[in-house]
Amino acid sequence: MTTTRRVQSEFVAAWHSFLRRRVAVFFTFFFPVLLVGIFGALVQTNPAGGGLFAEDPAYYVPGYLATVVLQTPLSRMGSEVARHREGSRFEKLATTPLSRAEWLLAHTLVNTVIIAIAGFALLVLTVGLTGASITFSPLLLLYVPVGVVCFCGVGALLGALADSQDGAITAANAIGLPLLFLSETFVPPSMLPDWFHPLVALSPLTYFAHGLRQAIWTGTDAGTVLLGLNAVESLAVLAVLGVAFFALGARAIPVTD
Amino acid sequence: MTVLATDGVRKTYGETTALDGVSLSVEAGEVFALIGPNGAGKTTLVRSLTGTVDPDGGTVELLGTAPREADEDRLGVLPQSFSPPGRLTAREVVAYYAGLYEDARDVDAVLAEVGVSDAADTWYENCSGGQQRRVCLGATLVNDPDVLFLDEPTTGIDPAGRRTLWDRIEALAAGGTTVFLTTHDMNEAERLADRVGLLADGDLVAVGSPGELVREHGGDRRLTVTVDGDPTAAADALGREAMTDGDRVVARGVEPAAIGDIVDALDRAGVEYTELSWAEPSLEDVYLALAGERFEPRAGRPVAGDD
Repeated sequence: MTTTRRVQSEFVAAWHSFLRRRVAVFFTFFFPVLLVGIFGALVQTNPAGGGLFAEDPAYYVPGYLATVVLQTPLSRMGSEVARHREGSRFEKLATTPLSRAEWLLAHTLVNTVIIAIAGFALLVLTVGLTGASITFSPLLLLYVPVGVVCFCGVGALLGALADSQDGAITAANAIGLPLLFLSETFVPPSMLPDWFHPLVALSPLTYFAHGLRQAIWTGTDAGTVLLGLNAVESLAVLAVLGVAFFALGARAIPVTD
Repeated sequence: MTVLATDGVRKTYGETTALDGVSLSVEAGEVFALIGPNGAGKTTLVRSLTGTVDPDGGTVELLGTAPREADEDRLGVLPQSFSPPGRLTAREVVAYYAGLYEDARDVDAVLAEVGVSDAADTWYENCSGGQQRRVCLGATLVNDPDVLFLDEPTTGIDPAGRRTLWDRIEALAAGGTTVFLTTHDMNEAERLADRVGLLADGDLVAVGSPGELVREHGGDRRLTVTVDGDPTAAADALGREAMTDGDRVVARGVEPAAIGDIVDALDRAGVEYTELSWAEPSLEDVYLALAGERFEPRAGRPVAGDD
């Protein structure tokens, strides 16, 4: 009961803080619009004749969702941890009953709500602008929060390792961009050299994109490095990685500056 | 009952020694002020006591146990550069911290207690510096702590705001709260503290009540004459040992009853002066003496009464 109360208090404070940063709110929700607008509508897909986006439009839907599920927690958590450290907030919180895991849980929940809203908008836009044909699966409702837990943990790790907010955001971008394009999101593994495939299998985002694609897309797979894993199994692997990164992230949260 | 105790606490950061075997104890209901120059190790000692820093050696006890095992519901900690979320109102900041405790006080009552009811609906980042620090104190008091750690609580606050905080801290102490504070303000330490500890280069060089420290380390009462002319003539006219420092002449050990005679002597000698002041030694003199920054007249030449 008290854990619930503490997490709720942290959640409410974090949620209000987010909502009152209008620029952050605007770009958080503008980002998926921009993403789908550029890649879904401007660049467009070309299933028949190759090109940058040569697969069926629905193939890329997990990629769009992966972008939001990866980038938002990485940059938000990284900068949030750095901001808390610079303001001696962790030093204060360390002397209250709130644990580091509870703090990370509250901020993960905030990110889950934000990403759920952004993800829904993204799905509507994708279907509307690209004509992607996807099937609804209840697994979609699990993939997003499990992915958010995983990448909030990674974001907390980055924030703990970086020495400033700028450093955390830079690190988030430096790690996020390669992951985004090398995790079966927008680039099928057939376009990558064979020797690189084991590295693709190491990325948590691969399990997100591959599993979600299996859950909501019925088209012909363009190849995967995760042969034999179905949607539920991929989700299970992602959940294990999520628990691990959450635990590591919570443990890494610094107490003092 | 001993609430805080350290024994031979050491802490180094690379080549820098922050704490070098610090031993002290603070009893329940006591107000203990820690003073010392920047970099003396004050914040490291506070962090060692609150469990946010692990000492390299020695032992620390808080409420009879290791700091990290202490009951957080009984602690209130205000870190030195603490800055809560800026876009929460003052009320929301205090309510946020109230939500972290099992039993918390009424938020509006706490805001009234620290004198920021008027700013309750103002974003923290839009509050004045004094209001911000008072909101932070409110967030620290919201769980009605038995032990309060205040790391430079009044830094950056105007005199009126400082007095409001002092009044609040005095009231808490009167109610039995143990207070451990660090400060650069000697008036603050002298007014609030039952005992003062002076930390210099990681070493606790003196501990005692303000009066005891002043008596032991504060030096003599001083008479200072700022002359409009030759200070040597003024020093000769005093008829006692004195030091010159530019246009000032300083005589130590002057009793208040002797001031009249000195004024007469200066008049007889035709010495013109712009200011004559007499001062008791203070905690600031103790600080300067023990921290190695004591004022000494630069000329350093005894000009009268010199054997």
